[in-house]
Amino acid sequence: MRIANEYKSGAVSVVGAVLLIVWVGSNAYRQDLFTLAATYALIGLGVYLPYVLGGSLALAYNAYAAVGAYAVGLVSSKTGLPVALGWLAGPVVAATIAVVLGMATRRLSGFYLAAVTLLFSTAFGTWLIDTDWIGSSGGIGGIRPLGLFGWQPTRYQFVVLSALVVLIIAFLVDRLRMSPWGVVLRTARSVPLAVESAGARVPTLNLVVLAIGAGIASLGGSLFATSVHGITPETFTLTIVFLSLFMPLIGGIGTPWGAVLGAVIIVELTLNFSAFSSSGTLILSLGVLVILMVAPRGVLGYIDTVRKRLMPDASAQDGVR
Amino acid sequence: MTDRLLDGRSIGKRYGGVVALDGVDIQLQRGEILGLVGPNGAGKTTLVDVITGAQSLDVGELRLNGVLLTGPPSKRARSGLARTFQHPQLAADLSVAENLLLGRAAIRMSSPWKTITGAVAGVLHPRPKEDRQAVENLAAEVNITDLDRPAGELSLGEQRLVEVGRALGQNPTIMLLDEPFAGADAVGIAGIIEAVRIVQRRGNGVIVVDHNVDLVSELVDRVMLLHLGHVAFDGPPAECLASTEMQVVYFGTGADHGA
Repeated sequence: MRIANEYKSGAVSVVGAVLLIVWVGSNAYRQDLFTLAATYALIGLGVYLPYVLGGSLALAYNAYAAVGAYAVGLVSSKTGLPVALGWLAGPVVAATIAVVLGMATRRLSGFYLAAVTLLFSTAFGTWLIDTDWIGSSGGIGGIRPLGLFGWQPTRYQFVVLSALVVLIIAFLVDRLRMSPWGVVLRTARSVPLAVESAGARVPTLNLVVLAIGAGIASLGGSLFATSVHGITPETFTLTIVFLSLFMPLIGGIGTPWGAVLGAVIIVELTLNFSAFSSSGTLILSLGVLVILMVAPRGVLGYIDTVRKRLMPDASAQDGVR
Repeated sequence: MTDRLLDGRSIGKRYGGVVALDGVDIQLQRGEILGLVGPNGAGKTTLVDVITGAQSLDVGELRLNGVLLTGPPSKRARSGLARTFQHPQLAADLSVAENLLLGRAAIRMSSPWKTITGAVAGVLHPRPKEDRQAVENLAAEVNITDLDRPAGELSLGEQRLVEVGRALGQNPTIMLLDEPFAGADAVGIAGIIEAVRIVQRRGNGVIVVDHNVDLVSELVDRVMLLHLGHVAFDGPPAECLASTEMQVVYFGTGADHGA
């Protein structure tokens, strides 16, 4: 059985996160890198469920991240309530938008769905710039720091907190993936007629998946806005959508941990490659190409292949049939 | 009346100018196994599609246990229909066990609300013991031994067997099998027949589609012969095999029967 194996990626990710946190230490630049990677990871996890597991090309994830960020900003600037409430409101609003957008586009799929949802993202970005009560082009600054029941995390504690949020969400998404519900979702990706004929309404399932994905992506926005104490309309552009599509491909599509790893790799390639600091996107493009050429199943998929090659016993055990 | 599971009257279906079904009546009793036979293009799969909701019907009506059968396939599946496909519809990258689980898992997502609560339940209990047990029982019943293989690696016959197992897992009132024996080996055939018998023993009905009358005649209680969208014969298998209609449909002549 594979029960033990199922949680291996998660265990390795926890170890990786601890090592990263140690590496980050009190270095402010690395702390920023880490929270950015956590932001990307959450958006990547939001994309993972509908895109990788459900096969949906709805791509408005930058808008959902912006919703999460603005929710934190608005709670901070317009109310006296704790910033943490923005973290709760963001997913609710993002999920609602995803359901409405999903219903409006339910007859579309593939390229057309991608095009229309990208158009929505662009329109949403323009709306953010043009709307005064959310700060128009200047966005919202001076967001109060996160406080939880009187406890205010230090910068370093916030890094640990970000890691915890990502690990917990990835863990939950992974459990959802392997559950009976996940089986129905993954079946609907390739043979929707079989799912319909077995009793589940595929369009309803898709809406729920889009809502969950939007909610998770919005947490990424909330995390970012809380981390940098501000948000502007330019923070979450379409670039983040394209990056988020590559995260699972780079890391490995087998489990959501691949999306997390992909996010870390992307941040590392774009921002922390000091030798070519001015051309991060170029480095990223080359890096992605190399990774996908060497490891078409992503880094985790590659590690799995190598492990089985080096330890034939392990693959024999995996294959208990 | 209470023994009648399925009652279809004057069913008609056209694809553009092509008449796929024309005035077809179909009945199925409790515990009955019906063979739906006919050459390619007779309308067998269209009839299955119309009953299960994959295709809408143009005229006529269908009743399951006296209740009008309408709506999308998912609704009809929840009211008791389960089917397999002429071209197997399995998720190739999922394991055999996961494909078998679909029959149990999908039916729980009967409403938007239950789709949401199902996700929550999935996070809390990703691998319910009773699901695993049910899949193992199901596999044992239909002779499936290799549960961990990806379905995409299976032969066509093995895929059909998994589809039949998946349909059986829905505990259907009526199980509709579209050419289940094509490509099946001895183990597969035994498994499919066992699945049919299980549904029959539960007092439910089975419709088996095949173009080979000889093959299904031993299994089924009654044969319905379709030809160009019409019912050419409806009765016991032995009578069907000996009938003039059978000769006409398959050989284009009834002369050697002197009719």
